[in-house]
Amino acid sequence: MKINKKGRVAVKPIVKKNQANVDHVTGDKIPKSFVFSRMKLPGPVRQLQMDLRKLMLPYTALSLKEKKRNTLRDFLNVSGPMGVTHFLMLAKTASALTLKVARTPQGPTLTFKIHQYSLASDIAQSQLRPRCPADLFKTPPLIVLSGFGTQEMHLKLATIMFQNIFPSIDINTVKLSTCQRLVLLNYNKDTKLIDFRHYSIRLQPVGVSRRIRKFVQNHQVPDLRNLQDVSDFVTKAGYGSESEGDEEAATVTLSSDLGRVNRNSTKSAVKLQEIGPRMTMQLVKVEEGLCSGGIIFSEYENVDEKEAEKKQDEDGDDSEEEEEEGEEGSEEDGEDMDEDLED
Amino acid sequence: MSTGEGGHMAVADRGTRKRRVGAKNGGKSKSKKFKTTPSSSDRFKVTTKNKKLFQKRARDYNSDDDEEDEPKKAPEVTNFEKIFTDANMGPNYDVIEDEEGSDQDDHSDGEDHGEIESGITRFSTDDGCNAFKTAFRAIMKKTKGDDTLGPVLSAHKHLIGQKLAEEEAEKKAKGQARKAKHVVAEKGHVKPASYLDSHEKILIGVATKGVVKLFNAVNKAQHAQKGLNASRSKDAKVLKKRRKEAFFSELGKSKTDYKAQKSSNSHEDEAPPAWAPLRDNYMLANPKLKDWDKKQETGEGDDFAALSGDESYED
Repeated sequence: MKINKKGRVAVKPIVKKNQANVDHVTGDKIPKSFVFSRMKLPGPVRQLQMDLRKLMLPYTALSLKEKKRNTLRDFLNVSGPMGVTHFLMLAKTASALTLKVARTPQGPTLTFKIHQYSLASDIAQSQLRPRCPADLFKTPPLIVLSGFGTQEMHLKLATIMFQNIFPSIDINTVKLSTCQRLVLLNYNKDTKLIDFRHYSIRLQPVGVSRRIRKFVQNHQVPDLRNLQDVSDFVTKAGYGSESEGDEEAATVTLSSDLGRVNRNSTKSAVKLQEIGPRMTMQLVKVEEGLCSGGIIFSEYENVDEKEAEKKQDEDGDDSEEEEEEGEEGSEEDGEDMDEDLED
Repeated sequence: MSTGEGGHMAVADRGTRKRRVGAKNGGKSKSKKFKTTPSSSDRFKVTTKNKKLFQKRARDYNSDDDEEDEPKKAPEVTNFEKIFTDANMGPNYDVIEDEEGSDQDDHSDGEDHGEIESGITRFSTDDGCNAFKTAFRAIMKKTKGDDTLGPVLSAHKHLIGQKLAEEEAEKKAKGQARKAKHVVAEKGHVKPASYLDSHEKILIGVATKGVVKLFNAVNKAQHAQKGLNASRSKDAKVLKKRRKEAFFSELGKSKTDYKAQKSSNSHEDEAPPAWAPLRDNYMLANPKLKDWDKKQETGEGDDFAALSGDESYED
């Protein structure tokens, strides 16, 4: 700081514009998200919402408080200055549990119906040794989309949506130690269901016995009571299965050290362990706007591609969009009837 | 029964005289009863004849055992009282002496009955006991009846019954409602199995493949820049150059080559480059999603596994 002759401290105007919204290494815009619901959720679903928030960490509002009278517009108004780009909305009705994934401020909105779900706590309970390192949620997860590559447009849209929900990775600068978690979305063509899974990534050196690995990791004095010689500790294979069979595909050669055990230029096995939540969901609706606007795709109303194209053509006239959107429901019905007549 | 009442009376009497010794021998109600009679003699004379009559009546009313208790215990009490009152109670002393005298009279009366037993209530064949016995038996013989309430000592048996039935029904309805609500709340909530079934294994396999792909790509990219520090300007230049070269070499590939490469490893497939610009600004700049399916390119594999990192690399 410079001090003027008058003794005043010259303070630079603080430029805080969008600093937090941009990755300081790559300069990309960081997507941020809100996970909320606009109704009172039953216990397990509220827990699911909390799990989803944890999943979206670190660029999400972990302790976002909603009130009953909060409308979508309230969240939208807050999202602008906060740089929030995505909304995840849970809704529970007597018949179904839905998850809406929307891009702010102007859509589109994907509506998923959640058929089945398991909470993170359920999954931790089902595991013998649930894993949760301290810095697990300090970095954004990777996302793997699988099976979406069919020609259907709504799936493509879903792909884009989910690719952009987490910050992108610059392969030249990324540190592998920040890749701690993984979100997997697997589309099943036959059932039209999407499997949503959340895993933690762990790297383990290959070809080292379990004992030595543990010894290096834990820094504890090993139990040598039953051994004749120290060399036995190294040479004797530990009991228990070391499933090396299918690991050929799951090994990577690191170019830099990662942790204490995974050294440079050694082979490491990639191990995934599930950390919830787990969801099985189905894409039922795609809307143009944020929870409003024309319906691009609907699972139940059977909006065919042809119709979609027709609609696009009509929209192409571009005279009075608002009114068209408002009337679209009735228009669709009319179209359906027309087709029936033609058939 | 009557002995108890007598005891109460005695206590009350003493209360008026501010004598508190009674608290000490509360258990020995028998003796107290007899003490009261002489105290009341201040008001009207009790002849020995009358006294004997009263005692007989009392004896008839009570069971034997109760009376038999009295003579043994009485002397103890009096002794105790004597000591106690000698020590403390100055003004009431003479009164107590009076009572003692009467007590001793009673002793002589009581000892006439002979049998002495203490602390045990026994049902004998006497009248007083019989009454109790019959009453008890009558109660025990009573059947509960068919009403679910059980014995209710109230005039409005039916009312109570109705109320209880209503309560029960209400509780049941409430429980069912809660259960239904719980079922709705838990709908779709599945507890996972403790083992990995085949589907989960497949999913983990897919995810692992994706991670391995990304990690290998990262290693490949970062292996080239090894030893170069991006913060040093000299190295930064070199890095920039290399990345540029890599980028242009990627661009220089003909479209067919690119496709062939893609099809060779059937699993990985990238979104077509036409989509890349859409990703960042498409949905922001073009909210109405006009022509959103017109720019797409054809000719892709069936499977699609994309990591966001991979794409940025390809870009």
